[in-house]
Amino acid sequence: MDKIINDFTINIATANGTGSQSANLILLQSLFEMGVPVSGKNLFPSNISGLPTWYIVRLSDKGYQAPGDRTHIQVLVNPATWDEDLAAAEPGTVIIWNSDTKKKTVEREDIFSYPVPMSSLARKINPKIAKLVTNIVYVGVLAELLGIDQECLESAVARQFKGKDSAIELNITALGLGRDYCKENLSKTDPYTTESREVDRPQFFIEGNEAAALGAHYGGVQLLAWYPITPSSSMAESIIAYTPRLRSNDEGQANCAVIQAEDELAAAGMVLGAGWAGGRGMTATSGPGISLMQEFIGLAYFAEIPSVFWDVTRVGPSTGLPTRTQQSDIAMLYEGSHGDTQHIVLIPGTVEECFEYGWRAFDYSERFQTPVFGMSDLDLGMNRWACEGFSYPDIPMDRGKVVRDQKTFDAFEIFGRYLDVDGDGIPYRTLPGSGMAPILYRGTGHNPMGVYSEKPEDYFNLMKRLKYKIDGARDELPAPILREESECEVGIIFLGSMENSIQEIDDILEQTGMKVSQCRVRALPFHSEVEGFIQRHEVVIVLEINRDGQLYGILRRELPNDLVTKVHSVAYSDGMPPRARIYADLIQEKLEEVSQ
Amino acid sequence: MSERPARPARAVKLNVLNEPKDSYTGGPSSLCPGCGHDQISNVIITAAWENGIQPHRIAKMSGIGCSSKTPAYYLGQSHGFNTVHGRMPSVTTGAYAINKDLLYLGVSGDGDSASIGIGQLIHAIRRNMDMVYIVENNGVYGLTKGQYSATADVGSKKKKGATNETQPIDLCALAINLGCTFVARSFSGSKKQLASLLKAAMSHKGFALIDVISPCVTFNNNDESMRSYGYVKENEITLHMADYIPHFNPVEEVDVPEGHFRDITLHDGSTIRLETISEEHDPSNPMAALSALHDAEVNAKHVTGLLYFDATKPSLAEDLNLVDAPLLEVPDESLRPSKASLEALNAEFLA
Repeated sequence: MDKIINDFTINIATANGTGSQSANLILLQSLFEMGVPVSGKNLFPSNISGLPTWYIVRLSDKGYQAPGDRTHIQVLVNPATWDEDLAAAEPGTVIIWNSDTKKKTVEREDIFSYPVPMSSLARKINPKIAKLVTNIVYVGVLAELLGIDQECLESAVARQFKGKDSAIELNITALGLGRDYCKENLSKTDPYTTESREVDRPQFFIEGNEAAALGAHYGGVQLLAWYPITPSSSMAESIIAYTPRLRSNDEGQANCAVIQAEDELAAAGMVLGAGWAGGRGMTATSGPGISLMQEFIGLAYFAEIPSVFWDVTRVGPSTGLPTRTQQSDIAMLYEGSHGDTQHIVLIPGTVEECFEYGWRAFDYSERFQTPVFGMSDLDLGMNRWACEGFSYPDIPMDRGKVVRDQKTFDAFEIFGRYLDVDGDGIPYRTLPGSGMAPILYRGTGHNPMGVYSEKPEDYFNLMKRLKYKIDGARDELPAPILREESECEVGIIFLGSMENSIQEIDDILEQTGMKVSQCRVRALPFHSEVEGFIQRHEVVIVLEINRDGQLYGILRRELPNDLVTKVHSVAYSDGMPPRARIYADLIQEKLEEVSQ
Repeated sequence: MSERPARPARAVKLNVLNEPKDSYTGGPSSLCPGCGHDQISNVIITAAWENGIQPHRIAKMSGIGCSSKTPAYYLGQSHGFNTVHGRMPSVTTGAYAINKDLLYLGVSGDGDSASIGIGQLIHAIRRNMDMVYIVENNGVYGLTKGQYSATADVGSKKKKGATNETQPIDLCALAINLGCTFVARSFSGSKKQLASLLKAAMSHKGFALIDVISPCVTFNNNDESMRSYGYVKENEITLHMADYIPHFNPVEEVDVPEGHFRDITLHDGSTIRLETISEEHDPSNPMAALSALHDAEVNAKHVTGLLYFDATKPSLAEDLNLVDAPLLEVPDESLRPSKASLEALNAEFLA
């Protein structure tokens, strides 16, 4: 049988709260250290302990990061999902199973079966923590079967348990038991194996949430006000974790305040208070939190208060599937709150962009005096992605049009908080405490001087200016990433974490002979280059991870009529991280449909 | 150049900052003539002026409702924020994190504080944030034309409609239970007492709640209402006379009153002097304060004065463990960590 090298998917079925996450991360990290292009996805339940969890590891020399079409290696440790997982295994699948599992066995002729008494091996080390050790035993088994380099394995263990010598020793012993059992009792009959690869540029693994948190610190965040919610909590917790190192003086006093609010409404209110006072405030939340913040988002838009909101999206509506990924808050962010609104949304697709938009969000928000959203998702935010390193901001902080001294203030012939002096729709502001041009900010109608007004012309002109102001941001925001074929046949517009699946989708489609170009939107409102991309292509698909095609809906409304007919929606979501095959098939169906 | 003639003898009265009272006024009120809230606005102007606070160092904060409109009517030289319904505390908290050196003066109503915003009020108290929080409490929603609020007393009857049978929320009792560090009740018609309490609240470090009974002349000023001018005047139990002695006016130079009195020193060195009239009341004893509130409620009375005071608790500024200067004053170069720090992080990640 021919070997299959670095091109398969491993699925590990465990229960959460058993320490499987650290075992899985060791597996992932050891492959990464071998230079194997690898990605890991944690499918975890909304629960602390005992419910089924799957961890999917994709190895792909082509660099594909989405979970593959099928599972090639299934690890069975959790009796609760045993039968289901076994039944789902296609013929030829490798099944590595814990033969100590009561009342469970594997009796199939069409698969490669490797029974391992994981619990008894684990008990040999320490009966009290056998359950935890069981997980690291299967990593040892996988290491032996797949030829994972021992040095890389040990280095991954050391990284996982930084400085905790006894944990490192225990894990390496357990890995050895798994390996040795394999060597002595099993003979390898399956084709799957790994090989080290030379890596051009060194990389490390990091979660999007941690990257965005670091970005926020390099943007000089002064107030983080937050309320815990999956999958965003680790962004706030990372900001907190890095504050002593990056933002504190020798006495341990910080120049970044952190307040855990009583709810998301209060968190949003605090962010607005910070912006009103002249500081950089942000919150990190998910869709349900944004739902609660709508009232303040409208106030920030209307009263023109800088404020930054990160939405690490999850599956809605309502509580939805809290631990699964989706891109279904696009419309809510772009047009958040009642009344006519329009907001700047930054949409990172990589961990490098999470970092970059982490700091840029404040610049945009202060420059345009408006709420700015960062839209990440669970997949990007909570899974680990390869990164070459973060780039230091190449421009000084943009604090926007703030009049800070009397001399500047005196140069104004008339000063009105909402007066469009420069013709760009962006007014000047003075800060509370400055004594210059004090006004009572309000969410009610106001004239250019900031005084309450219900006059038709005041309201109309204000709304017109706000529209004009945000429109002016379009080409200042991150431009789309274009990867175009010269043939300009099919163009795919997509966003965010779909970046990790798009190349595989593209390759599947190109196998049919068509030429596919890519346009990854990185901000709303749309950059003018998006329209150019549509103009150049014969047919354009807007691809997104939701039911209704939210990005498509926005695009359709904003495009000139003659371009609308070219653009078609492919939107799909089942809560799982996007699998390339599903989206490629849906795109093909859509193309067939529209060609008829 | 010829000398300008001296101004006529009719001198404008100035405060300790040489500012006339006009520097503390605002725009004309659009509330109903006779509204208790306008009386409170006037007391705010007087208190800020007499306390010698620079008007631009005050931040006027409010939510939504008749009371929350009033920041337009006082302290025209102060920045303000008329936020959204019941959410003034959170906005104030965020502003405070950025600029802790301003005096945050929040004005709210009973709908804003006891119903839609009760959660935010509770948590602001819990954090002991430095602010003055005035509740202009009339027992009804005015702007939406006269619905009962959550502070309406059982048995009270507004101008139109049925008697209120729902148990009220006593914001002072709630605040005392939460450990609020300054809790007072007053009446918009008791200008002297209210001014003393407000000045003391401005000198307090921590959360100062003043619940002010402020009759609604349009919807809740009839004889059957327990929050009408007539009823409150007849049924007010004054715990004590309150006299405020500012820090720039040494307490030794103030005449000592006859009879029993109690001086409380405030954070900025000012003093509030409580002269007992009706009964012995120890404001450091929360049980005595709760008991006074309970007795008043049972007898359908309103008890006013400084109910509870505690200077020992740290305020939010200390809890946040921030640099000494307000964050607003930290220069951009210090806010953004150095390039070297990022290079070090990248190197560690790669190691």
